[in-house]
Amino acid sequence: MNISVILFYVIAVCILGAGLLAVTARQLFRSAIWLLFSLVGIAALYFWMQVEFIAAVQIIVYVGGIVVLIIFSIFLTEQSGAKMPSPPIKRKLPALLAVLFGILFTARLISQYFTSAADDHSFQASMQAIGRQMLSTTDFGFLLPFEAISFLLLAAMIGCIVIAMKPSQADIVSPQNAGE
Amino acid sequence: MSVKEYIQNVYNGVTSLLKGMRKTGYYFFHPKEIITQQYPDNRSTLQLAERFRGEVVMPHDASNEHACTGCTACELACPNGTIKIITRFDTTPEGKKKKALDTFIYHLELCTMCNLCVEACPTDAIKMAQNFEHSVFDRSKLTKKLNQPGSKIREGVE
Amino acid sequence: MFSLEHITNEVQNWLSSNFSSGWVLVWECLIVIVLTTGLFAVLGLVLVLMERKVAAQIQIRLGPNRVGPRGMLQTVADTLKLVMKEGLTPDLADKFLFNLAPFLVMMVAMLLLAPIAFARGFQLWDINIGVLYISAVSSLSVIGILMAGWASNNKYSLLGAMRSGAQIVSYELSAGMAVLSIVVLSGSLQITEIIQSQQNGWWLFKGHIPAVIAFVVFIIAVTAETNRAPFDLAEAESELTAGFHTEYSGMKFALFFLAEYINIFIVCAIGATLFLGGWMPLHIGSWGGFNHLMDYIPSSIWFLGKTFLLIFLIMWFRWTFPRLRVDQLLALEWKYLLPISMLNLLLVTLIAILGWHF
Repeated sequence: MNISVILFYVIAVCILGAGLLAVTARQLFRSAIWLLFSLVGIAALYFWMQVEFIAAVQIIVYVGGIVVLIIFSIFLTEQSGAKMPSPPIKRKLPALLAVLFGILFTARLISQYFTSAADDHSFQASMQAIGRQMLSTTDFGFLLPFEAISFLLLAAMIGCIVIAMKPSQADIVSPQNAGE
Repeated sequence: MSVKEYIQNVYNGVTSLLKGMRKTGYYFFHPKEIITQQYPDNRSTLQLAERFRGEVVMPHDASNEHACTGCTACELACPNGTIKIITRFDTTPEGKKKKALDTFIYHLELCTMCNLCVEACPTDAIKMAQNFEHSVFDRSKLTKKLNQPGSKIREGVE
Repeated sequence: MFSLEHITNEVQNWLSSNFSSGWVLVWECLIVIVLTTGLFAVLGLVLVLMERKVAAQIQIRLGPNRVGPRGMLQTVADTLKLVMKEGLTPDLADKFLFNLAPFLVMMVAMLLLAPIAFARGFQLWDINIGVLYISAVSSLSVIGILMAGWASNNKYSLLGAMRSGAQIVSYELSAGMAVLSIVVLSGSLQITEIIQSQQNGWWLFKGHIPAVIAFVVFIIAVTAETNRAPFDLAEAESELTAGFHTEYSGMKFALFFLAEYINIFIVCAIGATLFLGGWMPLHIGSWGGFNHLMDYIPSSIWFLGKTFLLIFLIMWFRWTFPRLRVDQLLALEWKYLLPISMLNLLLVTLIAILGWHF
């Protein structure tokens, strides 16, 4: 058992523990923090696999973006510090069953596709290769989805600006004038 | 907001910020501008600002004469009753009675150094001194008598 | 010749000849921990003293001058005071998160130190996505601040944390854009390659006006990201007492304070690396003699000199400009810095494609 394997198990335990705490914590804010640690743990796993780019993107998107957004929305709710009541048994039971099903499903998948654990060839993905693939038009190129997503995001952004824009003074029709 | 205004805004912002930085930068690179006085260390060479007000004094000349007529204008001008003037009546050589200063009592502990008494004085008999080391162990020592014993009014001051 | 690279190689060779590879890793980790902690302590002391001295001089004062020669030991005395103070935790605070937050902020600062090249060949982790790693990890620091603000159970803290969150999240964009323009010019994310690409001149000079604009945007954005005046709304003394660290005292406060200064050092080091060539001496085109002369100055001195120059610039900002209002802060980012840096990025790309840079 070398240091690399030990590291893997340490990271895995951290991810699972934080994930478990995220769903069992009774305070909303703490849940978000545990979720954050779980996501950081996954980034650490990516670093362990030496796919640094994916790890950095994981941190930027999930930790820097989504969790901060979640925390902000928690701040805006009332009584964000209050303890939530423990869920009733009739909600706990289906949750437990769902977890059990998830574990069995994953275990089945792993046992089917990852029989040889000694699959040693590590995949080296350089930044340049990722960038080229992202914008290539050849087979397995990602140009079309990339552009489609860009277009979608642009549309969303313009929509946000339109919603947030204040009507200029000239456009405001006063109620009296509207009635005439 | 037009494009021209936008560029104008950026330009104005940058130039005004640079102006501020030029001023502070000048001070940073010119340590001679530092105005801090290291007070207890440099008591002998301490330089106070010209308009610094420490306490009210009454200047006397060499022949122990002052310029106070005892008119009590300063006493009336003082907003918090710092000055108390006791007058007496002298008889002049011609036999006329004349009001004169007996005791000029100055309560330093009540004074706010507002300078109103000095401005009110018609004969410039009192002025502000720069001494500021006033701490004493007994409060009564702060009640001062400004006219020196045996002093009298200068000739020609009415 | 005596150099830091030489020393690290010697240590590496000695360790690997005496221990197995796993233990070498452990020993190197320990050495790194000791060095980093030492660096943090020294940096904290030096930077706080520097800040106070610069502030004093700019405000025509003398600054600390009583403890030690010319006040040199003032910050040591301050640290001792902070160590001896009681670390209070408010009764109704979320105790766990309250105590975790300063360590999280500190940890993020430590992680950011990893890819910085302090001298030729003296770098903890030459990761191939260096710049991306830095912008990713620095987005974590906002979590510590939000955590501290929320866990204090204090309205000033919460407001400060919210402000700081909005500020850091929005200024990250233009900082990223400014960094990206240098990445476009040098064609790599790796710190060593970015430094190597500045062998014949720094990007600030090689990249024409767009590089200068990117530099200005970068400095403004990182000043905002480190929550320093004129962007110190998160801890605006006159409005929010001390913002997110109102309730902190003793060593926990000291950790926040230290993390602020370490973050300044780190962003300035990154700025020096990207725009001023990191440890690369000042080389001008093909002036062989001049370049050779500059090479005699050790690379670590070059790096520290450039970094402290930028730190001084940021301190100069702090003691010159008044604090912005929240709406002004957001207008500056979204209406000015971001559009300008986007346009600038296009210009830089054009320059890089046409090969106009030197």
